[in-house]
Amino acid sequence: MTWSDAAVLALRSLARRGARSLLACLGVALGTTLLVALLSISGGADSKIVSQLSHGGPAAAIHVDAALPDPSGFESDTLKSGAPRDLGAAQLQEIQDSPHVASVVPVLAMPALVVPCPDYQEFAAHPTPPCRQHTDEYFGALIGADLARFRDLPITVLAGRLPRAGSMSEVAVTQGYMERVNLDLNRFQDVIGSTIEFSTPQVAPGGGQGRFRGRWYLATVVGVVAQTVDDGEFLVPIQQTQAARQWALGGVDGRVFKRPTSPYSGLVVVADTLADVHAVRREIFDIGYANSAPEHLVASIQKYLHIVDIVLGGIGTVALSIAVLGVCNTLLAAIRERWREIGVLKALGAADEDVARWFLVEAGLLGVVGGLVGTAAGAAVTTVVALVVDRYLKEQGLLGVDLGGLPVPIIVGAPIATALLAVVAGLAPALRAARLPVREALGG
Amino acid sequence: MILVRGLTHRYGTGPDALTILCAVDMDVPSGGYAAVMGVSGAGKSTLLSILGGLEPVQQGTVSVGGEDLSRLHGRELARFRRARVGFVFQDFGLLTMLTARENVELALTLAAVPRSLRREQAERLLAEVGLTARASHRPPKLSGGELQRVAIARALANEPAVLLADEPTGNLDEDSASRVMELLERLRADRGCTLVVVTHNPELAARADQRLRLSRGQLVRL
Repeated sequence: MTWSDAAVLALRSLARRGARSLLACLGVALGTTLLVALLSISGGADSKIVSQLSHGGPAAAIHVDAALPDPSGFESDTLKSGAPRDLGAAQLQEIQDSPHVASVVPVLAMPALVVPCPDYQEFAAHPTPPCRQHTDEYFGALIGADLARFRDLPITVLAGRLPRAGSMSEVAVTQGYMERVNLDLNRFQDVIGSTIEFSTPQVAPGGGQGRFRGRWYLATVVGVVAQTVDDGEFLVPIQQTQAARQWALGGVDGRVFKRPTSPYSGLVVVADTLADVHAVRREIFDIGYANSAPEHLVASIQKYLHIVDIVLGGIGTVALSIAVLGVCNTLLAAIRERWREIGVLKALGAADEDVARWFLVEAGLLGVVGGLVGTAAGAAVTTVVALVVDRYLKEQGLLGVDLGGLPVPIIVGAPIATALLAVVAGLAPALRAARLPVREALGG
Repeated sequence: MILVRGLTHRYGTGPDALTILCAVDMDVPSGGYAAVMGVSGAGKSTLLSILGGLEPVQQGTVSVGGEDLSRLHGRELARFRRARVGFVFQDFGLLTMLTARENVELALTLAAVPRSLRREQAERLLAEVGLTARASHRPPKLSGGELQRVAIARALANEPAVLLADEPTGNLDEDSASRVMELLERLRADRGCTLVVVTHNPELAARADQRLRLSRGQLVRL
């Protein structure tokens, strides 16, 4: 008897015992649902937690500072920099060409005088905006980055959007800025759309140690972000800070503001995988730049998450095992019911392996159908749970989560694993049926 | 042909062992027709099972169609059953989840007949037993006589040398029983196969070339 013949016979057997087959199949499906949902949710949660550690950026991101490395910094998660060292395109390329480097995004931070102008639009025609009359300006930092590659940057958009790449009139602010201008940290709508005037400094030649000329420009707040690209409350396209640098280079070194000789103040380097972070950090260290990554923190959190995964996976596996034992039980019961049929089959010349094949295919079919249904149900449960959690978090004024879709390995692996488990569970009944003495099976 | 010499068969071991067949000898020529009678528990079905390779030969020699059954085990016995013998049971032994035609096809499936030929051969066999119109019906929809005719068609599927029928009319009314026996005899004559029938019915036994009775483990010719 071929496998396809056995499949036809198994399908007929399952159909004849429709209710029992359905129950066994539902048991497998429920077990698979639980396993798939737990693995998907825990996997999604893991990646989100790790992602949160890097403020929405890639977990394998490394911050490189335009400074020589401090020898003690390599084994630490925190940045320990030595003397400043220029960081330009050549060094960027050298790092980019290092093994296991997925991407390198340049960052240029520039100091700026910040003048919040919430009511600027009302006085747009006025030669001197009223906000300049106020005394609440302060020195902050503009963080310029290539925002076209924001996915490689440790940035989370809390509200609104990022400035368009290359835009010279848009800015995203952090909640630190909202706090400074006394806004409710959860009322993002109060800051989005407002205006800020910036003045980047140039120390004028012969202008004295404490005097500088400003390059003024207005920017509209288009979003609120959390970011760890660099220290600062304002995220702008790198073109903006590059213009500010050019302006500053036209001056001289001052007591506070030095001429920014380095084209970049830092880099965000993304390693191929988390496991490669240490090696890439070593490479950058050897090239001669201070760098940092939360690799120890991520590693220790991953260990705890892994334990949670094992526990959740274990619970799901136990549920699936119980369900698969249901398949075993169903088939054992079927042997007693098919005692006579097995005998007839053997009298017609079926070998032991033919009978075993019949039962194994039946177990496999229960596993495949149960696995497919369970995987689909698991995906649905995961989606619903993600929606409920996301809505709850947003209702609580917290950042929502997107647990993402069902991982492909789970979609493919779950039905296969379930079918294999069902076949394993069907081995004992299949062997028992196969070894049944033919005369005994015929009721002699 | 069937050749049995000194066949002894016991159930159980030790002092509680029950000797069901004791040094039985039997000869049925190729194409012959033998009827075995005896009271219940006399060992008729055991003898038939041994002849059909369903029970191992414990002692003595049994040769069916030139094959020494005492030398066959496991897969070889399965092959023997597939190729050499056809069984007809008192309770028909049809799989209720399959149609009449599929039941016949099952024997062809086990014999590895290509799928494309199975249907045609099964329909030809059902036509031979007069059940063309019932080919797509499942056993619960068929009468006793029809069920037994399906079972006969299935038994003949692989053109066996020996046809073994265990009380083939035991569950049938008189009319159906007579028609089933006529069918078996006609098919035997047409195909030239050896027929061994176990029966309680002396009238049916009287139709055989050889009438044998099993009593207290001994097989005697009547």
